[in-house]
Amino acid sequence: MRLTSSILGLLLSLMVGIASAEVVVVVSVQNPVEALSQAELRDIYLGRMNRLPNGSAVTPLDQREGSAAHRTFYREYMAQTPAQIKAHWSRLIFTGRGQPPRSVADDSAMADAVAASPVALGYLDSAYLDSAQVGDRLRVVAID
Amino acid sequence: MSGRLVSALVVVSLMLVFSAQVALAQMSDTPNLSINGFGTVGVVHSDEDQADFASNILVPKGAGYTRDWSAEVDSRLGLQLTANLTPRLSSVVQVISEQRYDGTYKPEVEWANVKFDVTPDLSVRVGRMVQSTFMSSEYRKVGYATPWVRPPLEVYRMMPVTNFDGVDVSHRSRFGEFTHTLRGTYGKADARYQGGGTAEARKAMGLSSTLEWGATTLFASYGQYRLTIEELNPFFDYFRLYGPEGEAIADRYDIDDKRFDVISLGARYDPGDWFVMGEWARSDSRSLTGDLRGWHVTSGYRMGAVTPYVTVARASVSSNLSDPGLSVGEWWPPAAELNEVLNHLLETSARQNSLSLGARWDFARNMALTAQYDHIDIDSGSQGILINHQSGFEPGGTVNLFSLALDFVF
Repeated sequence: MRLTSSILGLLLSLMVGIASAEVVVVVSVQNPVEALSQAELRDIYLGRMNRLPNGSAVTPLDQREGSAAHRTFYREYMAQTPAQIKAHWSRLIFTGRGQPPRSVADDSAMADAVAASPVALGYLDSAYLDSAQVGDRLRVVAID
Repeated sequence: MSGRLVSALVVVSLMLVFSAQVALAQMSDTPNLSINGFGTVGVVHSDEDQADFASNILVPKGAGYTRDWSAEVDSRLGLQLTANLTPRLSSVVQVISEQRYDGTYKPEVEWANVKFDVTPDLSVRVGRMVQSTFMSSEYRKVGYATPWVRPPLEVYRMMPVTNFDGVDVSHRSRFGEFTHTLRGTYGKADARYQGGGTAEARKAMGLSSTLEWGATTLFASYGQYRLTIEELNPFFDYFRLYGPEGEAIADRYDIDDKRFDVISLGARYDPGDWFVMGEWARSDSRSLTGDLRGWHVTSGYRMGAVTPYVTVARASVSSNLSDPGLSVGEWWPPAAELNEVLNHLLETSARQNSLSLGARWDFARNMALTAQYDHIDIDSGSQGILINHQSGFEPGGTVNLFSLALDFVF
C-alpha cells in the first residue's frame, strides 16, 4: 500500500515535472529586443520573417528534433507538432525557398550560441537558465 | 527538352554547389551546402480493369488495366543539393526519378537554378523552376508535404507539366502580421507524353500571389502560354481539305500555337488541430482541350499522430461537348468519319466527381504512411481522368481506388 502510494506520488511528481517544464525565448544581452508578439515569433520560426520589427536581422536557432525543449517550444508557442513543422519545411526546402533554422544539441549549446551572436534568437528550459547562471549573457524575451 | 540548355544549367548549378563546398570548409559557422531528399513508395488498386488510373496523364502505365495493383502511379525518389555560395547567391539542383512518358525511371532534372537576392525581399532565379499554377504546385511531388496520397487531379490535371526553363522574380512584403509573396515567371517547357509525342509550351508567363496571415493562406494565380501538339496536326489537316468550312473547324480545335489561360484561386486555414483548404481553377483555350473547370475542398483533423481527411472534388468542361462538323459528312463517308472522331474526343473529355477518404499516420520522425480511398463518379459520356481506355471501357460509371503510400523526407 505504502509502495503503491509512493509510486503514485513519484508518477504524480514526474507528471507535474513534465507539465511545469517551461521553455523561454532568449536573445543575447547585446540584442536590444525585449518583447515579441506570438505572431512575430511564429513567423520568424516559420521562415516568413528574417528581420525584427525594428529592422535588425534575426537568425532563429532550434534545439535538436526529438528533444523535450523542441517539442515543448513548438507545442506552446506555435501550436504545431514536430511532424507539421517538418512538412512545413519540406515545402520550403524542396522549392528552394529556404532551410530550417540551424539546430544545436542542448540547452547549454543553445545558451552559448545565442550569447555569442547579437542576431540570434533561441529557446531553452527556464530551469536551465536559472541553474546555469547564464543570466548575465542572455535575456528572456517576453512573448505576448 | 532542349538538352543542351538543361545540361548547361546543371553544370553551372553544380559548379556553384561545389564552390560552396570549398567556401564551407573556410567558414564553418554557416551551413552552406545541404543535401535533402524525398520520396514515396506507393501502391494503388483500381476496380476498373478497362482503363488505367495514373497520377499524370503523360505516362503509359497505371492501375486497373495494366496492373491490378500498381506501384508506378505514386512512387518516386527526389534528391536535392542546395548551395549557399554567398549570403545573396544560392543554387538548387533537384533530380527526380519517377515513371516517365516512356515507362522508364530515368532521373530527370526538376529544378536547376541560380538564385540571386537583389534585396532580402526581392530575388531573381534563372534556370529551371517549377510553376506555381496551383496552391500546392511547387511541391506537388513531395508527398510528405501534402495531406493526400496525391494532389486532387480534378484541379492538378490541368497542368500535367510541372517545370519550365526561364526566369522567375519573387518579391516578399510584410505589413503588420501579413506576409505577401508575389511571383512572376516567364519561360518555356516541353513535355514528352506516352507514345513519344511532344507538347511544347512557349511564351509561358505566370503571376502568383500568396498572402499568409497566421493560420490563413490565400492564393491566386494567372498563367498564360501558347501550346503546340504537333502530333494532332495531320488530323486537322484532313479537315482543311474541305475548304473554308473545314479550315474553320481545324482553326477552332487544333493545338498549334494556341493560347491557354489558366486562373486559380486557393485558400487554406490551418490553426493546428485541424485544417481546411480549397482550390478552384479554370483553363481556357480555343482548342480541342476546351474550357476546363475544377475544384476541390479538403479538410482534416489531427488526432495525435493520425490525421483523417476528406476531399470532395469536381472536374468539368464548360465548352461544347459536340460539334456539327463538316456538313458534307451527311453523305460523304470520309467526312462523316472525321466528324465522328472529333465528336468522340469532345464528348469523352474528363468530367467527374470524386470523394476521397484517407488517413495519414506520422509514425516516425521523417516518415508518414497514408491510406486513401477514392470513389470517382464519371459523368455520362465521359472517360474520366483515366488513360489507356480499352475497347471494353464504358463511358460514365464509377471507379473505386485504394491507395497506400509511404512518404519520407531526409
